[in-house]
Amino acid sequence: MSSRGLRSRQSSGVSRIRDDQITDLVSKLQLLIPQLRRGRSHKVSASKVLQETRNYIRSLHREVEDLSHRLSELLASTDIDNDQAAIIRSLLM
Amino acid sequence: MHLPHSTLKQEFVKKWIMGLQRCKFSNNNMSIFERKKAIKLSADTAMASARKGLTCWSRALISNPDRPVPTTTRRASLACKKIVKRSRRIRRTAKCGAARKRQITRSIAQCLVRKRTQILKSLIPGGEFMNEVCLIEETLDYITSLRVQVDVMRSLASASVRASEPHN
Repeated sequence: MSSRGLRSRQSSGVSRIRDDQITDLVSKLQLLIPQLRRGRSHKVSASKVLQETRNYIRSLHREVEDLSHRLSELLASTDIDNDQAAIIRSLLM
Repeated sequence: MHLPHSTLKQEFVKKWIMGLQRCKFSNNNMSIFERKKAIKLSADTAMASARKGLTCWSRALISNPDRPVPTTTRRASLACKKIVKRSRRIRRTAKCGAARKRQITRSIAQCLVRKRTQILKSLIPGGEFMNEVCLIEETLDYITSLRVQVDVMRSLASASVRASEPHN
């Protein structure tokens, strides 16, 4: 039936648009991941980019855990009052 | 929707300091583990609220900040290995025409991308509810926010170390 042919053409059109979107987004990801940015101008496969993305996010999560631990030791006995908060804010901005 | 690093950083610092002020660290009954949890919670909440409800991951993180981060599913990595083995086998049998080969390689590549995107679902807050395109968009935003968070926490840690050193 002609409608079936139209539907399959439409769905392949939609999936092509989606694939293009994904390719575009993956290339943006490649710019963010430090592992993939170092002097590499040649194309990296989408699968590799996503793999490195996963590793990068995990390493960022680990760093946050580690830093939270260090800060819990450093901030052990101090409550932050308003004056200290202002100082810290200006330090970190 | 993507904010520059400096704007995001200012929002995060403002909100994180506010959150930290509410923590009563001098309460001696707190264990180091509880303090660490409080610090991480305030950092995650600040990171998420700095996005002002504009992204899915930030809304998911605020509503569920204590979600455990699962490790890779074994099934996903096994499936990937099978696909790669299959693609090697197909390349060896030169009986397929060039066009068919291209089609197979393309669908294998798509399959791999799909598998890898699945893994991202478990890493991005709220990821399990997102389609592929949304997931990668959210990942881009989440990574920029995570970098700000790490950057600021590192600065505070090194500033605290310097402040606690005795002046010579």
